[in-house]
Amino acid sequence: MGGLAATLDYDAELMVRVKEGDGASFTVLLEKHRSPVIHFLYRMVQNQAVAEELAQEVFLRVYRSRGTYEPTAKFTTWLFRIATHLALNSLRDGRNERLQERLDADSGESASRQLSDSRPSAEAAMVKEVRMEEIRQAVAGLPEKQRAAVLMHKYQEMEYSQISKILNCSESAVKSLLFRAYETLRARLAHMA
Amino acid sequence: MSCPIGSHEQLELLQAYCAGERNTPDASALEKHLEVCAACRELVASQQAVWSALDEWKAPAASADFDRRLFARIEREVSLWDRLLQPFRPLWVRLAVPLAAAGCVAIMVGIMLDRRSVQPQPVPAELAQPEQIEHALDDMQMLNDFNAATRADRANAKM
Repeated sequence: MGGLAATLDYDAELMVRVKEGDGASFTVLLEKHRSPVIHFLYRMVQNQAVAEELAQEVFLRVYRSRGTYEPTAKFTTWLFRIATHLALNSLRDGRNERLQERLDADSGESASRQLSDSRPSAEAAMVKEVRMEEIRQAVAGLPEKQRAAVLMHKYQEMEYSQISKILNCSESAVKSLLFRAYETLRARLAHMA
Repeated sequence: MSCPIGSHEQLELLQAYCAGERNTPDASALEKHLEVCAACRELVASQQAVWSALDEWKAPAASADFDRRLFARIEREVSLWDRLLQPFRPLWVRLAVPLAAAGCVAIMVGIMLDRRSVQPQPVPAELAQPEQIEHALDDMQMLNDFNAATRADRANAKM
């Protein structure tokens, strides 16, 4: 935990350097947080193109806001607050739905490709794809805030306190969100055991 | 410990245990309980299945040109002025509040001084009143004369 705190402090320190005009520090921050941000957004909106577009917007906003940045909170809290805000807006404005249709069409195509594949691994690949689709649908079926909380808890390994700051709610509200989300997921995915 | 099933708080504890939080006194108590409670064991197994399933869901890697596109956007969308002013920004941000406060104080002092200098001196009532009444009566007389003259002109014109 001490190492983590030191890392987070280092992120804030890098951002202060960006504020002072050090472009190289921004590159370091981008290198470090690019994948976590894109992965989080991908799992939120479930579309790679939209996730990358949103991630670009996240880092662009970070760069634009560098002048007013104050290291009062963890850098990742600030970063994921921007990312969550953009993801929720994207989901609400329905932009993602149009792309989701395209995604569904793509997965249908890939399934038919796999069906026509004569290699022995084709069936296993298809089973895996069906399983993945079930997981994706189960997560996509969660209410937006529950989804964001689960993804930050499960994949970013964030503590309740940090998630609460990102989602702008109390820690007990985060616990409640996670509880309901995991209950729903258990009902939908427990058969995979 | 009592069985977590049926208690919201205890179920949260059980979920936390499934999420890997096992070095707590609560987790030790839960482990002891799991040895004797089949229902809780089943719940833990199904919750762990959820975690394993979520672990299988890998997100794709970022596009190779992600950084290039981002820096192109920064170049395009972050204005020239922004970049020119950037080195001075920390200084500017530090000085902005005291400068604004000093400006407000200066404006307030200016307004107060200005009000004091242009305030009209009070005129003694006993001196002003007869003079004003006299002017008003003169004005009324002048208007009456003017109206009478105008009426006479119109009457002559009609004839």
